[in-house]
Amino acid sequence: MATAQSKIEGRVVDQQGEPVPGANVYLEGTYDGTSSDLYGQFQFITSETGDHTLVVTFVGFERYDGQMQLPGDHQVVVELVEQINQLEAVVVSAGSFSAGEENSREVLKPLDIVTTAGATADIAGALNTLPGTQTVGETGRLFVRGGEGYETKTFIDGMEVLNSYSPSAPNTPGRNRFSPFMFGGTSFSTGGYSAEYGQALSSALILKTKDMPMENRTDLSLMTVGTDIAHSQLFENSSIAAKLQYTHLEPYFRFVDQAIKYDEAPHSIDGNVAYRHKVDDDGMVKFYGNFNRSDLTIYEPQIMDASIQDRVDISNRYLHLNANYKDILDDKWSIKTGMSLTNSQDDLIVNNTIHDESTRGFHSKSVLSYDPSTKMSLSFGAEHFYRSSSFKVEEQEVSNYKYDQHLGASFVESDLFFSNDFVLRSGLRLEYDNLTGKARLFPRTSLAHKLGNDGQLSFAYGRFNQQAQPEYLRVNDALLPEGAEHFILNYQVIKDRRTFRIEAYHKRYMDLVKFQDPFDPATFSNSGEGYARGIDLFWRDNESVEGLDYWVSYSYIDTKRDYLDFPGKYEPSFSSRHNFSVVTKYFVKALKTQVGGTYSFASSRPYHNPNTTEFNGGRTPAYHDLSVNFSYLYRPHVIFHASVTNVMGVDNIFGYEYSDERNAQGQYVARAIRQPATRFIFFGAFITLSKNKTVNQLPNL
Amino acid sequence: MSLLISTFFIAAGCLFQFQQTSKYEQVMTDNIEKVYQAETVEEYRAVVNTFERIAQKENEKWEPLYYSAYGYIMMSAKATSTGDKDKYLDLALEHIKKSYELAPQEDEVWALEGFVHMIRVSIDPGSRGQQYTPLTMQTLKKAVEMDPGNPRATYLLGRMEFGTARFFGADTSPACARLQEAVRLFELQPGQVTLAPSWGANEAKEVATYCGK
Repeated sequence: MATAQSKIEGRVVDQQGEPVPGANVYLEGTYDGTSSDLYGQFQFITSETGDHTLVVTFVGFERYDGQMQLPGDHQVVVELVEQINQLEAVVVSAGSFSAGEENSREVLKPLDIVTTAGATADIAGALNTLPGTQTVGETGRLFVRGGEGYETKTFIDGMEVLNSYSPSAPNTPGRNRFSPFMFGGTSFSTGGYSAEYGQALSSALILKTKDMPMENRTDLSLMTVGTDIAHSQLFENSSIAAKLQYTHLEPYFRFVDQAIKYDEAPHSIDGNVAYRHKVDDDGMVKFYGNFNRSDLTIYEPQIMDASIQDRVDISNRYLHLNANYKDILDDKWSIKTGMSLTNSQDDLIVNNTIHDESTRGFHSKSVLSYDPSTKMSLSFGAEHFYRSSSFKVEEQEVSNYKYDQHLGASFVESDLFFSNDFVLRSGLRLEYDNLTGKARLFPRTSLAHKLGNDGQLSFAYGRFNQQAQPEYLRVNDALLPEGAEHFILNYQVIKDRRTFRIEAYHKRYMDLVKFQDPFDPATFSNSGEGYARGIDLFWRDNESVEGLDYWVSYSYIDTKRDYLDFPGKYEPSFSSRHNFSVVTKYFVKALKTQVGGTYSFASSRPYHNPNTTEFNGGRTPAYHDLSVNFSYLYRPHVIFHASVTNVMGVDNIFGYEYSDERNAQGQYVARAIRQPATRFIFFGAFITLSKNKTVNQLPNL
Repeated sequence: MSLLISTFFIAAGCLFQFQQTSKYEQVMTDNIEKVYQAETVEEYRAVVNTFERIAQKENEKWEPLYYSAYGYIMMSAKATSTGDKDKYLDLALEHIKKSYELAPQEDEVWALEGFVHMIRVSIDPGSRGQQYTPLTMQTLKKAVEMDPGNPRATYLLGRMEFGTARFFGADTSPACARLQEAVRLFELQPGQVTLAPSWGANEAKEVATYCGK
């Protein structure tokens, strides 16, 4: 039998004609084949006969199949087509910071949220070290790009959360209610976000609850502010995690003097439950619930005469329930659906007058995604919001202010990948609400283009809206939603563990709420407007020095607005032109201790002095804060943590309040808004009990 | 007559079968040697390509997939950028998952999966330790449970335990005992006579020398 040997040779190139070395070239179903060399060339001999398929494969390219008849020598030039890999492909980064699991291209890691010094494990505190935010130290909230604190909306697993901050004494920072412990992914958008998210003017904080835990464990924390216990239990196809926390600041206040005189120090009880159930290989049902009860009572001196004090009792009962289901239906379709319920009851007792505020919200949403090919994905969905808010002062006639609102929305959004280097996202959102009886359309679009291996340029545009704030809508429920328009240009380079990004933006505000008298509906209108523009810079380096991780943020902003009772367009009092922060984390191996430091700076803020003719003409001094923290890994499952804010003891002044009436000298009396205490000092011991002794609570700190 | 013909065909069939097996074993043996001797990413890629070619032909055998995965792990170790390291580990894991479909009870595959997670930790221990350390431990413990005599599973688990204990200044003696056990198991291991994995003896010895220091 004559052996018919055939020589198969050729070259493997990509779409640009560049050689592809190391490609696997072979005849299907045989051992015969080789790898392409440095120049993309290959050559091999085969004794096969008949019809055969020449296969060429290489990571990142579509598989090539070519028919050939054997015996017979063949010369082929194989052009491989780039595969669109949505994990490696360009992603829209304009306006967003995300901290997800695993993905090496994320700018932040979940751990960063909780190990940032000065943030005291508060989600908002950590995100405040990112560019685009402005330090407004007396609120603890996220103020994004010239937006008010309320313009940042929180979503948990895609569902709306109302009243996401815990109550606090007037002009003292409140904390985000949700413990970073419960979340595996955080995405913080400073503008230009997807059409799926509505009812947020400036920013969307999207929290993703953790998936199934890996093992049973119990965590116990003993802290200077209280204690908590958490447990995760794993079953065959489901898991349950619960956490109960009790905090009371009384003992701490005995050691550290407070500027505020408390009758009853802030104390709260807080519970979290998360249940997960795997439906099949891909489907998952998640349930998350949070309840909280907190109380505090202070004596607040009057500005005119500090010897007269009002007794102010603040208490809040809060419940948030959230359920959702996610599944892959087939290789093209997937579904995500959920609902959330928020119920918040605030009681404010000033001397003996009771003020009741009640907020209720119900949100339901369904999203279908369709991926006909790797080059395109389409998602569309519908949602419904119900919100109701009421406020009444007991023993007062005609003092019940309230509204009930139904809002329906639908959206559609498509991602088109023209190549791995170019993606265009376009979306449209339609909203209708019963109070105004009007439908509105909001276009959103963004595109991203990869430049070289590591850089990318993105652009985002969008129109956004958000209902008028409850305190105004309760008085006048005919108010239109407030509107904003964002233009964002972003350039980002990520190489190894270094990230640089620069973002410029322009934002227009329209239909802002204005009034002359906050309790007279007739004086309300949506005639307010404003703008914000600026540049944000971010640099993170986790590569240059072994064990050291640091990031630097700088934001410049120029913003003016005419809203509320402003007499015209002025810089608002929450705005500071320059914000700068440096966050460092260094692990000292010899001491088994992570040391963190954060320095934050904010330039002066305007305040209004009624003794002068100029509106918002006063300027506060600049803000400085240096905070440090230490986490000592005593044993694999025991951690000691200590943190101190404002180490240098700067007496920061956030603004001034003035008396309602003039004093004997004909002047309005000023009172500075200061920090409730110069420093906040925290100690805690965190113990984890599990079968596997190497697990600890480090990521929770 | 018919008996004779049948006998002939059966014999020929057996011979054919035998030749096929031996060609498979021959090619595998040659390339297993190559993958153990490779040093550069290019050399690893060439031999991984060969294993992938064998795997598409011999689609009921788990070994070609195993060695492709092993090759990718080595490529990951040689790669310089975090992105490339992860990409090769992803490919290794893809091959490991495929070999589970063919040989779900193969402790060597479990040990290799543990190795992948262990390297993930080493790329960025600060941010990945929490996620991948328990996964590494779980997978390796499972491999050791399946075959307490598997030297690779024992060595990798010992190495992980040793690193953790030393980091926390805890007692390293249980980890060291396991490493000594791994060294002993490697000595009992027959030479490369079959297609079974045989790597790891030198590395185990090297890590064991840290014990007592």
